[in-house]
Amino acid sequence: MKEQHYQSIIEEIWPELKKKHLYPEIPMPKVRGASNPEQDAAEEDEGVGLEIKHKQMTINSAFISKMKDKMLEKRVVEALLDHGISHYTFCPWDFHTHLRLYSEAKKVVGDKELAKQVSNYFIDVIADTHCVKKRFTEIPELHRNLEKGTIQEVIAFLYQKIWGIDLGIPPSKMSVKGHADIVRRLSRIPYLDRSRWGESIQRFARSLKPLLIEEQKQQEANGEKGERNPQGEHDLNHYSNEEINQGLRDYAKQTMALSEFKDVVEDFSDELKGAGYRMEGGIGRGRGDPIDADVLFYMKLAENYSIPLKKFPLEEKGSLHPHSHSPWEIGSPFQDVDIWTSFGKIMPGITQIWTKREGKGRGKFESTPDCLIAIDSSGSMINPRKSLSYAVLGAACAANAYLQNNSKVAVYNFSDAPMGGKDILNYTVRQETIYRVLCRYFGGGTALDLEDLMPLIQGRKNLDLFLITDMKITNLETLIGFFGQIPNRVTAVHIGDNPYAARFEKAVEKRKNISIFTVKQKEDIPHIVLGKIKDYFNSTQIKNS
Amino acid sequence: MESSPPRKKSSILPPGKENWITKNPFEEFGTFAASASDLPLDQIVQSTGAVMDRIRRGYEKLLEEEAKELVWMVQYNTIIKAYEVAEKYVKEIDYTAEDIEDFCFALENTQRIPYLIPGPAGVYISALCNYTKEEEIVLKLSELKTEINLIGFRLPKAKRLMIEGDTGDFTGIGLEGGELVIEGNAKNWTGAGMRGGKILVKKNIGLHTGEWMMGGEIYVGGKVRGLGNIVEGKVFEREKLVYPGKVRYPNLYY
Repeated sequence: MKEQHYQSIIEEIWPELKKKHLYPEIPMPKVRGASNPEQDAAEEDEGVGLEIKHKQMTINSAFISKMKDKMLEKRVVEALLDHGISHYTFCPWDFHTHLRLYSEAKKVVGDKELAKQVSNYFIDVIADTHCVKKRFTEIPELHRNLEKGTIQEVIAFLYQKIWGIDLGIPPSKMSVKGHADIVRRLSRIPYLDRSRWGESIQRFARSLKPLLIEEQKQQEANGEKGERNPQGEHDLNHYSNEEINQGLRDYAKQTMALSEFKDVVEDFSDELKGAGYRMEGGIGRGRGDPIDADVLFYMKLAENYSIPLKKFPLEEKGSLHPHSHSPWEIGSPFQDVDIWTSFGKIMPGITQIWTKREGKGRGKFESTPDCLIAIDSSGSMINPRKSLSYAVLGAACAANAYLQNNSKVAVYNFSDAPMGGKDILNYTVRQETIYRVLCRYFGGGTALDLEDLMPLIQGRKNLDLFLITDMKITNLETLIGFFGQIPNRVTAVHIGDNPYAARFEKAVEKRKNISIFTVKQKEDIPHIVLGKIKDYFNSTQIKNS
Repeated sequence: MESSPPRKKSSILPPGKENWITKNPFEEFGTFAASASDLPLDQIVQSTGAVMDRIRRGYEKLLEEEAKELVWMVQYNTIIKAYEVAEKYVKEIDYTAEDIEDFCFALENTQRIPYLIPGPAGVYISALCNYTKEEEIVLKLSELKTEINLIGFRLPKAKRLMIEGDTGDFTGIGLEGGELVIEGNAKNWTGAGMRGGKILVKKNIGLHTGEWMMGGEIYVGGKVRGLGNIVEGKVFEREKLVYPGKVRYPNLYY
């Protein structure tokens, strides 16, 4: 009954709330209560009023019942929903911002749990302050009536100071506890300036850190759980799978720092696993091995780059194709009649037939061949698991380009291959397997073993080769000789400039099927054109080459 | 020939639908009034921003005058001269200890303050501390990555400066009677040339401690790595008087 009553309150105020917040795309909130299977949870968590999961806000009926002596039920619901909507419309806005705030907080507090707490408090302060400033809201009234722990009391005193609204916290109480000093520092932070959130959360964390540490110690000593946030916890449940994907992609691109990304992904690994985020399956979802943060980093970073892939030109067939219309005459074949321009009639003067000509186009549709990626992981290359490797990023982008065109990719990861420094992956469409092999690092010398490559090339008429190396290969001459013989399209990418790269470039400059690119910085990666053949559109030259 | 008057433009409606009333699909937003209220936060942020701008400008002017090539040598007269320039600018600003703290962190943010030159920065922060209206100044700098040199320079009588975190070289030099408390470690030349007052370092202290000090006391909670040539004054290591004393020699490494 109670739930129905609260649901009717939501239904009554929801149109007005949506209007107030400029029509956010959020489904109608629901009520969780005794009639639901999660009854026990509701009773346990009567201190938590709001839960957000995949954009669905759920109000806890137990919380409203608990609050109704202090505040009208309708006002409690409105305040909670105002708060929840502000998370969507202002802060954190998206998963990327959430991650960014968390990582900035962690730089200050150092501890995973404390960083999560700091970012949660910070996000709440921003959302509530935004709402109080921009909309008419019951949030201050809710804060006045909430039960508060030490930190929540400090935050409420902060609200009192920055909103100019009395929330029932006497300043003398703060001075006695020595918290006035903390609040004075907290109140100087420009919460509503989105461009300064990174710096602001660090200031926020610095000020709140002593309190959080004190509270953590107390909890450990007493064996208690931490205070529950009455306005709901901020975890990854807030976000849809697509938002998490997008957030990780943006975060990888923004940080460009493997260690930072790895740190954050590992801190959120439980939540990510809970959200079904594992490395098996196309884009990093599904069941299987645990998250490999390094691989995920390159996966998400590579999604930000798109390398153009020239499709393979196939031989002319010389078949006929419809070219123009001509009038049908009695005795002409019916199969050439164009029923659309003949209005469905067979009548001289009206009926038209297709005149066919031998085509200049290709006999088949253009298609993409499979690709063999040869990646150098010798000592002169960067270890992709230590810092950002442009070689792995470039190879990952290439792999993505072929996979997206329904082709298969094989990987030959080599350092001193004749001595066993190699990893060979046969043709596959499994993205995460490809990435794992690409991310493998051997170190040591650099030598190719052509005997390893031959089984991957032989018997495949149409195959592209993608080589990424710094060209400091011991048997470079053998490689040049090999490339001089094969007709396949070869995209050779060298990282940085050196005499070996110049030697390679000079040796193959006359080969039309080999394109060479240099990658010195990440911005060079999109300039790689896979399978590019010089004078591609000039068929006579292709024949001559 | 009479020409017909030009026809009035009318909206073209489908035949038989002339009675349709065109409705602005965004009409509902017309009644929406964004009631952005002014919060005390706006005022606080605006005023602290303005103060920070003035403090930053003062520092930039100090660099322009004293570190033109972005090079600054720590010498007696360069410190004195830099301090005089710093005094000139900070006297004109009304600020609090929190502003000083924010400035210390802003120094590490290259987007806000492009150049952190430790010497002039320390002299400038000292001038800020010496001219603030508050008698007790607490700077929570434990999260600062840079150890600021020259902090507490010429701290006058009746001022108490408390630093949470470590400090760099030349901490509390030329102290003029104030009380300087360092919650962490202090590096070399701490208390050099101090004339009076008290320096309390809760952890360890570096070499040349109290070099040419003319008076006052230095208390070290941890270890004194080396004493300087002290003229007058007292140095305590873990509550034990180490200068004046027979055991210690100048710059002795312990």
